[in-house]
Amino acid sequence: MPSIEIEGVYKIFGEEPERAFDLISEGYGKDEVREETGLVIGVQDISFDIQNNELFVIMGLSGSGKSTLLRCVNRLVDPTRGKIVLHADGNDYDITSADKESLREIREKQVSMVFQNFALFPHRTVVNNVAFGLEIQGVDKKERTRKAKELIEVVGLEGFGDSYPSQLSGGMQQRVGLARGLATGADILLMDEPFSALDPLIKVQMQDELLDLMEEMERTILFVTHDLDEALKLGDRITIMEAGQMVQKGSPEEIIVNPKTEYVADFVENADPSDVLRAETVATKDLHLTDNNRIRMNEVTEIEVDSNNKAVQGYISGTPVPIKSLVDYENLTEDAILSSSPDTPLSTIMRARLSFSSNPIVVLKNNEVIGYVTEQNILQGLLEKGRQD
Amino acid sequence: MSYFRDSFKKMVVVLLGAFGWVSIYPFMASARVGASLIELPAKPVSIPLAEWTVAVVDWLAINIEPFFDFIQLVLNVINDALLAAIQWIPIFVVKIAGLDIRFPVWSLILFFLLWYLSGELSTGLLGLITVWLSANFGLYIEMTETFALTLTAAFIAIALGIPSGILAGISETVNHMIRPVLDLMQTMPVFVYLIPAVIFFGMGAAPGAVATVIFAYPPSVRLTNLGIREVPTELVEAGQAFGCNYWQLLTKVQIPVARPSIMQGVNQSIMLALSMAVVAALIGAGGLGGEVVRGIQRMRVGQGFVAGLSVVFTAMILDRATANIGAREE
Repeated sequence: MPSIEIEGVYKIFGEEPERAFDLISEGYGKDEVREETGLVIGVQDISFDIQNNELFVIMGLSGSGKSTLLRCVNRLVDPTRGKIVLHADGNDYDITSADKESLREIREKQVSMVFQNFALFPHRTVVNNVAFGLEIQGVDKKERTRKAKELIEVVGLEGFGDSYPSQLSGGMQQRVGLARGLATGADILLMDEPFSALDPLIKVQMQDELLDLMEEMERTILFVTHDLDEALKLGDRITIMEAGQMVQKGSPEEIIVNPKTEYVADFVENADPSDVLRAETVATKDLHLTDNNRIRMNEVTEIEVDSNNKAVQGYISGTPVPIKSLVDYENLTEDAILSSSPDTPLSTIMRARLSFSSNPIVVLKNNEVIGYVTEQNILQGLLEKGRQD
Repeated sequence: MSYFRDSFKKMVVVLLGAFGWVSIYPFMASARVGASLIELPAKPVSIPLAEWTVAVVDWLAINIEPFFDFIQLVLNVINDALLAAIQWIPIFVVKIAGLDIRFPVWSLILFFLLWYLSGELSTGLLGLITVWLSANFGLYIEMTETFALTLTAAFIAIALGIPSGILAGISETVNHMIRPVLDLMQTMPVFVYLIPAVIFFGMGAAPGAVATVIFAYPPSVRLTNLGIREVPTELVEAGQAFGCNYWQLLTKVQIPVARPSIMQGVNQSIMLALSMAVVAALIGAGGLGGEVVRGIQRMRVGQGFVAGLSVVFTAMILDRATANIGAREE
């Protein structure tokens, strides 16, 4: 079920924005429209749905319109054209046509926001910052303090409740921002480059924590970033924006493996694909059976399969060995052939190979052999980013 | 965009004005020369603004006298009450080595008050010593008069200034309307509005207070306005994103975030109020300013210096008492 539906949204900055549409329909670009009319196209004809509990990432460089698009969703920026519908608490909210009071109510209860520079209120303690949304909702002081303290614990800031934001480090401040965003209980959370202002190490830590939080809480998150690695790591799906337009949308792997335009390809060039590429994508899938129903993975390792192509037995140098999932390779004591699922990230395979055995890894889907991953496949995957020419 | 359009309009107006002046100037000049051959007036006046001003002031003085009387009454009540309260606090006189040494209890109160407000013992001591010194210069009464007048005027200036500043901060229209008024108030030589003050309110503390209010009002407005405008966009957005209505945004986000700047405005208003309260002695407001004026009129260097020094003391007390309020909770 979609949680946010965005349909044909435009944002044009300047007086009498309607003037731009004639030029746009004639195919003029952002720069030409600005020269002709002085109007600036912020966002041009964006449509997509965001599913319930999805972490959807909008990725683009500064000026690509990603923050503008995000702000259209809670109407901190009024879209010039188009429609945005939010589904929360079992109701539909057409935010683009909402009047002032219903807009305020939607912001109060259904959609909250986390900001790039934290936007914490300097005159309020951590507890009172986190409780801000609840205070606006009219929750009484005792109850909102209790709730705020609970969330402060969730984001790992126990004991800092009575501090002021200026006494905290950047990472801690953004934890407060995150707790404030979560406190209202809104189903939809908008995050505007929340980790961009943080140190690289803290940033990675916060990303991991956000993913952990997503496991525990049911939220739909619309996440804006200019950092592709962050987008690849966090996003269930990613859309890439350039000059106000959406140039590609898809899963992290689709983006890496099959960049649609030059612009996306340039981005992807320097990305680390090992967390994104899956075993199935890089594996050798062209399988040949030997006379005794075995698949030879290299000179010494073989897999015996039954008539349904299901794995039966592994062999190393002719000696039978069991086939074990690489998920718990750390607990293996005996010799074995490791197996992975089709969706196992390349980085996990590399880690297992490094510490357990450098033999090829067999890729199983419901125990059926669909391919195997050798060193060759791994290197090719990393260098070619999974693209098969 | 609109900025450029506005500047363009201004430029056109200025150019047209300049062109108009240049084109009529020769005629004007020749007319003046022609007239001067017959009888040269001391100061040629072709726009009698001075006379019009008199007409307006006279009209106001006659027609809305009850209004001015009311203001006069309010100011006198506040000022007198404050003064009475301060002067009610006793002074102990002790004979030491044949001299009457005064110990005003008020200096002790100020000591604790300043200590509390600034959080520093040294500031408290400053209040104690300066008031004790002034009292023994023989200027205790004058100092309390100046104090009362300054606080009365500053109180009114701030009570009007902060709301005006908030309005100017959130509304472009109010900002455009109020700015020239503030410029006028701050650049007009201070002595000039002492004159209408006397016409409207007679002599004494009330016209002094009115002139002081006018002088002390702009900084509160300007710094409140600035503070509201300088609230980071992201904070305003955060307020809106969590569903604040207009009033909540103002009271829970904008005003609290602007507080340091607003308090700076309060401090500035009080300091300007003091400087004007001294000048207001020219129209009989009394206090330390009165001593300074008498010192000037009678060429008494010592009397003027001592009174001047006490003004500095008062300024130090008022400044230290209010300077830290804005920063204290940060």
